[in-house]
Amino acid sequence: MDPSEVEFLAEKETVKIIPNFSLDKIYLIGGDLGPFNPGLPVDVPVWLALNLKQRQKCRIVPPEWMDVEKLEEMRELERKEDMFTPVPSPYYMELTKLLLNHASDNIPKADDIRTLVKDIWDTRIAKLRLSADSFISQQEAHAKLDNLTLMEINTIRSFLLDSLNCMYKLRSNLQPGSSKGQAMDY
Amino acid sequence: MPCERKPMRYGHSEGHTEVCFDERGRFIVTCGNDGDVRIWEGLDDDDPKFITVGEKAYSLALKNGKLVTAGSNNTVQIHTFPDGEPDGILTRFTTNATHVTFNSSGSRVAAGSSDFMVKVVEVSDSSQQKTLRGHEAPVLSVTFDPKDDFLASSSCDGSVVVWNIEEQTQVISWPLLQKTNDVTNAKSLCRLAWQPRAGKFLAVPVDTKVHLYERGSWDHVSTLSDDLLTQPINVVTWSPCGRFLAAGSVGGSLTVWDANSKLCVERCKHEKGFTVCGLAWHPSGGQIAYTDTEGCLCLLDGLSTSASDAKDYDALFDDDDDDDDRLVDEGLSGANSPVKKREDEDEDDFLMPATGRVRNRGAFLDDENSLGHEICYSTFYVFPGPLPTHPQKAFQSGSTPAHLTHRFMMWNSVGIVRGYNDEQDNAVDVEFHDTAVHHAMHLTNSLGHTVADLSQEAVLLACPGTDELASKLQCLHFSSWDTNKEWMVDLPSGEDVRALCLGRGWAAVATSVQMLRLFSIGGVQREVFSLPGAAVCMAAHGEQLMIVYHRATGFDGEQALGVQLLQLGRRKRQIINGEPLPLTLRSHLTWLGFTAEGTPCYVDSDGVVRMLNRSLGNTWTPVCHTRETCKSKSDHYWVVGVHENPQQLRCIPCKGSRYPPTLPRPAVAILPFKLPLCQTSTEKGQMEEQFLRSVLFHHHYGFLSSSGYEVDEDGQTRSQKEQQELLMKMFALSCKLEREFRAVELAELMTHNVVPLAIRYASRSRRMALAQRLSELALEKSNQVQEEEEQDEEEPEYSGIRRPSGRKSAPLAGSAGKANKAPVLKPLAPRPKPRSKVPVSPKTGFQLWLEENRKNIVADHPDMEETDVIKDAMGRFRTLSADERLKLQPAIRYFFLLFFLRPLGGSRNDP
Repeated sequence: MDPSEVEFLAEKETVKIIPNFSLDKIYLIGGDLGPFNPGLPVDVPVWLALNLKQRQKCRIVPPEWMDVEKLEEMRELERKEDMFTPVPSPYYMELTKLLLNHASDNIPKADDIRTLVKDIWDTRIAKLRLSADSFISQQEAHAKLDNLTLMEINTIRSFLLDSLNCMYKLRSNLQPGSSKGQAMDY
Repeated sequence: MPCERKPMRYGHSEGHTEVCFDERGRFIVTCGNDGDVRIWEGLDDDDPKFITVGEKAYSLALKNGKLVTAGSNNTVQIHTFPDGEPDGILTRFTTNATHVTFNSSGSRVAAGSSDFMVKVVEVSDSSQQKTLRGHEAPVLSVTFDPKDDFLASSSCDGSVVVWNIEEQTQVISWPLLQKTNDVTNAKSLCRLAWQPRAGKFLAVPVDTKVHLYERGSWDHVSTLSDDLLTQPINVVTWSPCGRFLAAGSVGGSLTVWDANSKLCVERCKHEKGFTVCGLAWHPSGGQIAYTDTEGCLCLLDGLSTSASDAKDYDALFDDDDDDDDRLVDEGLSGANSPVKKREDEDEDDFLMPATGRVRNRGAFLDDENSLGHEICYSTFYVFPGPLPTHPQKAFQSGSTPAHLTHRFMMWNSVGIVRGYNDEQDNAVDVEFHDTAVHHAMHLTNSLGHTVADLSQEAVLLACPGTDELASKLQCLHFSSWDTNKEWMVDLPSGEDVRALCLGRGWAAVATSVQMLRLFSIGGVQREVFSLPGAAVCMAAHGEQLMIVYHRATGFDGEQALGVQLLQLGRRKRQIINGEPLPLTLRSHLTWLGFTAEGTPCYVDSDGVVRMLNRSLGNTWTPVCHTRETCKSKSDHYWVVGVHENPQQLRCIPCKGSRYPPTLPRPAVAILPFKLPLCQTSTEKGQMEEQFLRSVLFHHHYGFLSSSGYEVDEDGQTRSQKEQQELLMKMFALSCKLEREFRAVELAELMTHNVVPLAIRYASRSRRMALAQRLSELALEKSNQVQEEEEQDEEEPEYSGIRRPSGRKSAPLAGSAGKANKAPVLKPLAPRPKPRSKVPVSPKTGFQLWLEENRKNIVADHPDMEETDVIKDAMGRFRTLSADERLKLQPAIRYFFLLFFLRPLGGSRNDP
């Protein structure tokens, strides 16, 4: 899976916008949107919000969790806990990136938020690597990881699977009794 | 007599706070850990002025317009009051000062500090300082002798010392307190208080008691105590008359003693039990303000201590030695009940009187401090009568207070006008919700405009006049098609703009001389007339102008407001002429406007939204109570717009304030309407509320069509359908509850083509008597409709105003009829097809019957003219029975109701 595909999925999340135009309900395959009243908040998918924002047709209201205090709290918790803590949104990284890149003027303290989300991301990825490391070094057969987001799984998937494959091959070569063909089962 | 404990409110961040009143008792002044001094105009002041004095403020004192504060930068500063201008540094210490106080004349300030020193400084000349050394730990509190000879101070070293100021020597020192090393560790703040006026006693809080020391002899003459006080007293203060002593303690107990009788006359517990650390007595003696270590400000009101005194004595003799009873009483009557307790140290000359009251008066006169007492007596005893309310100031609805540097000058359905007034910039920003109206504007506010309004056509701004310059009105008419988009008008000298509003094609300005001036949007002066009172607020919509003004002086917190509603345009008239505006008890007007559909609306400070009910003689119906949806008591909703179709109350939720800040940009929320009907938790009440609301919010269609505006016909039919559906549901419900009379009442409200459904429902549920009555009703209704239609046929020009039923009241229909004939000056949008409904109108029973039977009639009389055929047919139709006629009613459109009726009726009655 490509990161851009994950981002595409994230664009289906809804976000509040304040339009500066007036439009009746629009009927789309994914559901009805609107009506759009100038000055009145309305929920739309992120892709539409970004499109409207680029055309300067709306202001984006940042999601509730996109707040310096809340993120700081989350970061502290993430650092304190050994396990993965629940994230504010299953697409927190993608949404932060999308919204901050396109609508940073509508989000108070955009730079702080970017840093904070990056911190949370780094902490989580470090944890993920650590757990992958212990998984391999202890030669466990299975592991359970809660509260991982799609993007996080995606970053480690190819590397982890390939390296497991490699290691399997190496190990099976070390042990003379095993047949070579088994490695191909993956 | 129990006093009233006002609800507490947050004033500062948590930490040590102090409070005092200004000399006239108008303001409550507090300081706290956040370094701000706040000036409250009473406890209800939602927007106190504040002066930032430093990072922290440890103590404050106020006298003669000088505010002295002890800040965290180790200085004692002066600010002017109430302007808050810095007025220099009075003195410095090597560490922070802990307590500052004025002497009785206000000429000197004493300050105690954590560096063990006490300084006495002349206010006029800060170089004249006297330093009192001798304490061996941080100083807790200082207080002046009213005669200015002595000064008392308490310290963490455990001593309370009286100093001779001139000689800078210790007169006496009592080791009374526990030793600690710092103010923050001290069990009690030990705020001393010297009795004002005579200065006979010095009150020293010692643990849970207050010791009184006599001036001069320095003897410990008496102790004030209270059994219910279990925690150390932090702060004591004398009433202005010097007779009563109030104490606030750790754990939030407040106690008031009468210093003469040593009785506890008042007792109160802090709402949350926070530690009281600041206490101040109102100069009139009727109130005590106190603050706690959590930064809250509270008020005890109605301290009628002298009146209660007389009673106390009476009560005292009734159960003088009856201690058991007293204890039971205490337990029952809670925190407010004063306990009548006589101390052992009570004066010996207190003879048993014949009647408490007379003896009491005698005691007054004999007393050497009688002067003070008499004053005290008179201030307490005179019944002031109902107090006039301060009339509310004029305001623009949708604006935030003018003193803010960044504020909303207007937020309405068109856009936002923001005003900035800080060091860098004095500007006005205009922004439109719909950028299709106009692009955003940034104007420099060189004239100092304070009021603004915004419409689809123009921005109207006005500034108050100054000594040299007249009050100006500026209009940016951005929708003008010529190149000159701006005009300006000077008001006559001495006349100030108070309120303004923009209608469609005109602007109205209410001025300080109770005059209303009407301008066309291009700047032509059109009308001028006098208002019956000082204008409070104005609102406009299309051709309507609503003015709210002060009708009279209100009393006891009430505002006496009057309202005028004018219809401008070609046919000018007054619709509401100066009727009183109903407000919630003790509230004031906070928002005035029209719904998007043009129905007048207003909101009061209690959060109740009221809307004009045109069909009930222009009465005001409460449609929403915004405070009910607030989570906390100090939260409010700031209304920005009201819509009837769809039913929306657009407002901005404000946490802990009445209005939103400009940054971060507030988001609009939508609240539903809810009429305050009884028993809305039951199904019946709910449906009644829905029906009534639907009817109420339906009235604007009649108004809009009568004034020539475009009507959303889809919405109209939808709401009619909804009403009929609700009536049918209510009908079914009352059938189920065996309330047949009520069912008929409901059926009377239905339109003629829904009644047959009700009949069917009644007959299916085997209620023959009900069905019989309903069929009579149906007949009556269909006759009524038929008559109307016959009239329509004769006078086709009236057919444009069709009404679904006779439910609508006559005056509305009348005005609709009249206005319909008069051409309209400037409709919001042209009516597309005013009479388009005629051809698609449902056919009446007679028409259906005629279609079926025309052939028969023509066959019988082949030679007849068309008109004769109809006449003959009419004759035949009248001879038909009621049932036969009913079959012909076009009830088909309401078949959807059957889906609803089946489960209700079918479950019981179908085999």
